[in-house]
Amino acid sequence: MRTHVAEPWVEAPLQGFVDDARVLFALLLHPSGQVMGQFGFTRAVDVMAACALAAGIHASAGQLGRELDGQPFRELYHAGRDRQIFIGEVRTPREAFVFLTAFGEESSLGLVRIFFAEMSTRLSQAAPARVDGPPLAAASLERDLARSLAALFGRSADGESGGTPLPS
Amino acid sequence: MSSPFEDILATLIRQRGVLGCLVVGESDGIVVDANVQVGVSEQVVAALAAALFRRARLSSQSAGLGRVQFLQLEAEKGHVCCVGREGLVLVTLAEPRAHIGLIRGAMLQGVEVLA
Repeated sequence: MRTHVAEPWVEAPLQGFVDDARVLFALLLHPSGQVMGQFGFTRAVDVMAACALAAGIHASAGQLGRELDGQPFRELYHAGRDRQIFIGEVRTPREAFVFLTAFGEESSLGLVRIFFAEMSTRLSQAAPARVDGPPLAAASLERDLARSLAALFGRSADGESGGTPLPS
Repeated sequence: MSSPFEDILATLIRQRGVLGCLVVGESDGIVVDANVQVGVSEQVVAALAAALFRRARLSSQSAGLGRVQFLQLEAEKGHVCCVGREGLVLVTLAEPRAHIGLIRGAMLQGVEVLA
């Protein structure tokens, strides 16, 4: 199974992480919730939900870290019964991104952290220079979100947003 | 702060050619305690060695061979040795010149502290 990305520079580092860490799901997103790349999801609506939740969790953890420790928490781990999740911040010269991954028995937290660090370095090296744009507004956020989901799931940006299976 | 693994780690690191020794969680690959030389990336060694040991243990069980007593990976530039018990793995990283027999003996004796 291959990764699906909204921008081409994301693909090689993300695919490398997935291949090495043997995770079930992976999601790279902008802190605003806009998806940059994904692996393992089959429906756009699931990607949207995961992006919104990951962005919210990351923002909350960051603020909690500032309150407790004077600096934001950059990594978060939760162990479930069968599956575990890891959320981390990827810093690039362009901007910071949020990374969410879910893994099971095939992997471990130690492996995920190692390959996450490796992927972060590769993303940092591959990221294009920052382009200063207008301030983010609700309308442009929705438009960018629709555009990135369309790029990921191979359909028009004004198409309906949920329940579409991935092309095989 | 001392840990119950200090003595076995100190014994192993004193062996000739040993670059580092670690106690690692088998399921998560996280370092519990370690004694490594400068330059050894303990988190990387821990995660990969734990994954290796876990797969060896599962393979051995699947093949009906029982518990893994001692796992040795011999590579071009050294050895990785592992013993495990109760969800913990004792890992030793050694140079090619290391005396594996002595390391093996110390590790099999030391595995008792993992229980």
